[in-house]
Amino acid sequence: MAIFVAKRLAMMMLTMVAASFLVFAVCEFTPGSVARKSLGPFATQEQVDFLTKKLKADDPLLVRYGRWAGVLLGIIPDPLQDPSTGLNFKDPRGAQYFGNFGYSTLNKLPVNDVIWSRLGNTAILAGLAFLLIVPLSIVFGILSGLKEGGVLDRLLSVICITFTSIPEFASGVFLVTLFVILWPVLPGTSPLDSEGGWSVPSQLVLPVAVLVIYDFGYVARMIRVSMIGVMEKPYIRTAVLKGMSTRQVVIGHALRNAMIAPFTVLLLQINFLISGVVVTELVFAYPGFGRLLLDASLFGDIATIEAATLITVAIAVTTQFVGDLGYMLLDPRIRLR
Amino acid sequence: MDKTSHPYIPTLLDQLNEGEISRRDFLRKSTLLGLSAGAAYAMAGIIDPATQARAGDLPKGGNLRIGMRCMEIKDPHLADFAEKSNVIRQVCEYLTFTDRNNITHPYLLEKWDVSDDLKTWTLHIRKDVKWRDGRALNADDVIWNLKRVSDPKVGSSVFGLFTGYLVEEYDTGEKDDKGNPKKSSRLWSDKAIEKVDDSTVRLNLFSPQIAVAEHLFHYPMFILDPKDNGAFGPSANGTGPFEMVEYTVGKGAKYKARTDYWGGAAHLDTFEFVDLGDNPGAGIAAMASKQVDGLSEADAVQINSMKAFPHVAVHKVETTQTIVMRMHPDVEQFKDKRVRQAMRHALDRDKIIQTVLLGAGTPAEDHHVAPSHPEYAALPKWPRDVEKAKKLMADAGHADGFELDLVTRPDPIWELNTTQAMAEQLKDIGIKANIKSLPSAQYWEVWTSAPFSLTAWGHRPLAIMTLGLAYRSNAAWNESHFSNAEFDKLLTQAEGILDPKERSKVMEKIELIMQDEGPIVQPFWRIFSTVMDKKVQGFELHPSQYIFAKDYAVASA
Amino acid sequence: MSALVEQRAMEATAVKATGRARLKWARILRSPTAMVGLFLVGFWVVAAILAPVLPLYSPTEQDVMALADPTPSAAHWLGVDILGRDELSRLIFGARTVLVVAPLSVAVAMIVGITLGMIAGCYGGWIDAVISRLSDIILAFPVLVLYVILIANIGPSIINIVIATTIASAPGIGRITRGLVLGLKEQEYIAAARLRAESTLYIMLVELLPNCRGMLIVDACLRIGYTIITIGILGFLGLGLPPPNPDWGGMVKESTTVLNVWPLMSVLPSIAIVSLVLGFNLLADGLREAWKP
Repeated sequence: MAIFVAKRLAMMMLTMVAASFLVFAVCEFTPGSVARKSLGPFATQEQVDFLTKKLKADDPLLVRYGRWAGVLLGIIPDPLQDPSTGLNFKDPRGAQYFGNFGYSTLNKLPVNDVIWSRLGNTAILAGLAFLLIVPLSIVFGILSGLKEGGVLDRLLSVICITFTSIPEFASGVFLVTLFVILWPVLPGTSPLDSEGGWSVPSQLVLPVAVLVIYDFGYVARMIRVSMIGVMEKPYIRTAVLKGMSTRQVVIGHALRNAMIAPFTVLLLQINFLISGVVVTELVFAYPGFGRLLLDASLFGDIATIEAATLITVAIAVTTQFVGDLGYMLLDPRIRLR
Repeated sequence: MDKTSHPYIPTLLDQLNEGEISRRDFLRKSTLLGLSAGAAYAMAGIIDPATQARAGDLPKGGNLRIGMRCMEIKDPHLADFAEKSNVIRQVCEYLTFTDRNNITHPYLLEKWDVSDDLKTWTLHIRKDVKWRDGRALNADDVIWNLKRVSDPKVGSSVFGLFTGYLVEEYDTGEKDDKGNPKKSSRLWSDKAIEKVDDSTVRLNLFSPQIAVAEHLFHYPMFILDPKDNGAFGPSANGTGPFEMVEYTVGKGAKYKARTDYWGGAAHLDTFEFVDLGDNPGAGIAAMASKQVDGLSEADAVQINSMKAFPHVAVHKVETTQTIVMRMHPDVEQFKDKRVRQAMRHALDRDKIIQTVLLGAGTPAEDHHVAPSHPEYAALPKWPRDVEKAKKLMADAGHADGFELDLVTRPDPIWELNTTQAMAEQLKDIGIKANIKSLPSAQYWEVWTSAPFSLTAWGHRPLAIMTLGLAYRSNAAWNESHFSNAEFDKLLTQAEGILDPKERSKVMEKIELIMQDEGPIVQPFWRIFSTVMDKKVQGFELHPSQYIFAKDYAVASA
Repeated sequence: MSALVEQRAMEATAVKATGRARLKWARILRSPTAMVGLFLVGFWVVAAILAPVLPLYSPTEQDVMALADPTPSAAHWLGVDILGRDELSRLIFGARTVLVVAPLSVAVAMIVGITLGMIAGCYGGWIDAVISRLSDIILAFPVLVLYVILIANIGPSIINIVIATTIASAPGIGRITRGLVLGLKEQEYIAAARLRAESTLYIMLVELLPNCRGMLIVDACLRIGYTIITIGILGFLGLGLPPPNPDWGGMVKESTTVLNVWPLMSVLPSIAIVSLVLGFNLLADGLREAWKP
C-alpha cells in the first residue's frame, strides 16, 4: 500500500513537471516577448530591448524553464520583481518563496494575488453543479440500467444523449433567452455582488444549470452501463430466481456494486467541470478561474497559464488517485498495479 | 477681451463675423490659442455646455454602476486603452479637458498662454487644487509628470505625441548589429520643461505646435503624485473627485466620492465599474437585468437590440474614431500606388456603414482628416467605381488580382465585421483578402509589422495629431510604413500655421497626397454610442470614450 | 468532455467486446435511435455535399436591404445574419467546414492513437510504459484547457485544429486500443498467427485491427461529436476558423448581441450544432448496441 501511494505520488510529480514543460514549450509559438507583454503595445522598441536584456528573455527555452521552476520552488528570486527593471512589481510575500507563481504580465499582479480567489469562485460554481449532477445522474442511470432496452431505458437514454449534445454556449443562449429576456426572473450576468439588485444565489442559478445540462446525461450513461453490467451478474440472476422482488434485488445487491465504477466516473467530473467552466463563465461574465485562464491564454501570460495548468493537473491527478483508492476500498477484488 | 489673449484672436473674430469660418471653427481655433472656453463660447454667441450642465440641479447621492472591462492599471502613464484610463480618470486628472465639441478647456490649469510663434507655452496651474492627502498641487508635481512621460524608458504613448517639438531623436553614437547608427530619443533641451514659479510651468518647444493643449488631454497624461512613483492602486493619491476603495482585476472597481474635492463634491456618493468580460452578449444581459446602470460603450448592433428596453436611454456622439485598412507600400502587391488607389475606388462606403454600423457613421475620404476636424479641407467625393479600380489594377500589372493575409482582431466585433465587409468588396477587383483574426495581445504584437492589416484609431480633436502619430516618416505609431518627404514637410508647416484658411490650403495638399499615394483605405467615421439607464442624469457621452463620473447623478426611484 | 472517463468506460466495455464480434446490420436497421442518428448526420452530409449546386446565396454575400428586417422572409428563408448574409446558406456551408474538419481531425487522431495503442499493446515492456506514461500526462489536462492553450498560441486554422485534436484525443484512443489488444492477444487465432511466424506488423494489421474495429468506430463517432462541440466552443471563444468562412460557433458569438431582438440568429446555429452532435451520438449508441456479441 505504502509503495503504491509513493509510486503514485512520484507519478503525480512527474506528470506536473512534464505538463508544465509542455505548456512552456507551446507558449513558445506565441509571437512576442515577455518584455513587450509587460510593457504594452505602445512602449518603444528601445524600452522593450532594455527589459528583454534585463530579464535574460533571450536565453534558450530550457534555461528559462529552469528559471521559472526555480522561482516556483523558492530557490531564486523572481527576476520581474527586481527594482532595476523599472516595472514597479512588488509581491507582498516577497520575491523568493515556495509556491511563487511569479508575476502575471496580463494583470501586472502576482499570480497568487489573483488566481486563488478566482479558483474559489469557480469551486462554488463547480461544487454546486456537482451536487446536482450526482443525484440526477444516479437516478437516471439506475432507472435506465434496470432493464436494458426497455421503454424507460430508451426514453431516458435519448434524453441523456440529447442533453450531452448541447454545448454550453448553446444552452446558455437558450436559457438567457428564456429566463432573462422573455420571462425575466433571473439575472443575465453573475458578477457575484448583490449591488445590482439580484442576490448572489440567484446569479448562480443559470451558470450551474448550464453545467448540469451538459454533464449529467453523460454521467448517467456511465452509471447505466455499470448497472447493466451488474444486473447481468450471476448472483443477481440467482437472487431473482430465488424469488426476490426487483426492489429488493436492486437495493440489496445491485446498487452497491453498480456504484463502484461510477464512483470514479463521478470524481473525474471534477476534472471535467474545471474545463467546462470556461465557456459558462464567459457567457455569464462570472469572475472565475476559467475566464482568467481564457484571458491569460489569449494574452500569452505564461505565468498565469502555468499556474492554472499546475492547479488543474494537480486536481486531475489527485481526483484520479482518490478515485483509485476508493475503487480499491469499494471492491477488494481489484488489485493495484 | 483682455490683453493677454493671443493677437490672432481678432482676426478669427472677423472671419467669424464675415461668415468665413463657422461658429464651431471659431470656438476650436480661439480656444486653441488660449482664449478661455467661456469667453470663446460667449464671443461666438453660444451657451457654454459646461455651464449649461451645471445649471440644472442634479440629485445628490446614490450609487452608479457602469459595465466595462477592468484590466490591469499598474502605471497610469502606460495606460494603453480608454478602458484602463477610465479606471484611473475618477482619481487622477488632466491639465486640460477637451469637450465633446472638440473645444479644449483648462482643467487643472487656470489658463495657458501661447507665444505668437507657437513655441512657448506657459501653463498656469490652479492654486486651489488639493491632493487627497491635503497637499496643494504645485509646479514640481506637474514637471515631474511631464518629464516622466518624456523618458523613453517609461514607455508612455505621450512620448510619441511630444516627439517633434519637445522630444528629439538623436544618434547615440553606438551601432547596432547591422552597423546602422543606433537612434534614441530624449527631451531636446534641459530647458524644454521649465519651472517659472510654484504654480507656473513653461514649455519651450523647438518647433511650433498648436496642439499642445490637446496633447495634455491624451489619455495617459494623468497628473500623478510623484510620491506614488507611477504606481496606481486603491491607495493611490489623486486630485480627482473620487477615491478608489477597491479594485479587482477582471471583476470591477469601487469608488467613494471625496467631500473635499476642489471642484465641488461629486453628485454621487459611490461609483462602480463592473467587468462583464469579452462576451458582447453579457453587456446586454446585464442591462436587461438592471445589474448595471450603463455601459462604457455599446456598438450599433448592441444599441439596436437595447433600444427596445423601456428603461434604457441611448447616447450618441459624432467622433473622429475610425478604422483604416493599411498597406505597407514596401511589399510587392502594394508597391504600385495605383493598387492602393484601386482599393480606395473599390469601396462602397455607404453599404459598409449600413451593414456594419447600421447607419451610425459618416463616409471617410482616405486621408484621415474628418469633416469635424477644424483643419478639414473639403475634396471631391469618390463614389464606388469598380471599372476604374479594375483598370488601375490592370495598369499596375495586377489584372488577375492577388491573394494576401489581412490581419485583424476578433474584438470588438464591429472591427471584425468591418474587415469582413471590406474584404467582400475587394473581391470584386480581384483582391482576395484572407482574414487572419488574431487574439488582441497577438494582434498588438504585429500591428506595425503585418504588411496588410486593419487598425482602429481613437478620437482625436485635431487631425494633425493623428497624422503626426501615424503617417509622418518614422513616427512612433507609423504602422503603415508610409514615408513621404513632401507630406512630412507640409505637416510640419500645418502644425505651425495659425490662419485656418491658410492652414486649410496646406491641409488640402496633405489630403491630396494621402488620396493619391497614401497607404490607407478608410471606410467611415464612427458615431460613438452607449446606453444608460434613464435614471442616470448629467451623462454626456464623450467622443474619446472618457468617463467622468463626477458629472453624473442618479435619480432615486 | 473528459477523455479519461470515456476511456475508462470504453476499457470496461472493451473487455466484453473481445472475441470475434460481427456487426449485426439488422440490429442497426431495427434500432430507432441509430436510424434517427443516421438521418441527422445524413441530412447534414447531403446538404454539405450539395451546397454548391443548391440554389443558395453565397455565404459571404451581404444583403444590406435584408438587414432592415433580418427575420425569415421569402428571399431569405431563415433570415440573414448581422452582416446581411443569408442564414440558410451560412448554416449549410458551415456544415461543410465542420464535416470536413471534425472527421479529419478524428481520423488523424485515430491513426496516431491506434498506432500507439497497437505498439504499446503488442510489444509491452518499456515501450508500453513510456507510451502509457506520456498518455497519462496529456490525459491529466482538462481537454478544453488543452485546446484553448494550444489554439490561442498556435493560432486558429484547420491544420491547427487537427493538431490540437490529435494531441488531445490520441492518448485516449491509444489507451482503448491497448486494452483491446491486450484482450485479443490471448485469443487462439492470434496464437496461431504467431505460430505461423507472421510478422508483428501482419498480426497488428490483419488479425488485430479488424477485430478492434467495432469499438473503435463507436469511439470515433463519439469523438467526432465532441470535436464538433469543441470547434463550436472555439468559434464561440473567438478562436474559430477565420472569417468570413461560416463557422457555427462563431455565428452564435456574433449574434449574442441581438439575442433579445432576433433570437433566431443565435438559436439556429445552436440547433445546427446540437442536431449534428446528437446525430453522431445516437449513431454511436446504435452501433454500440449492434456490435454487442
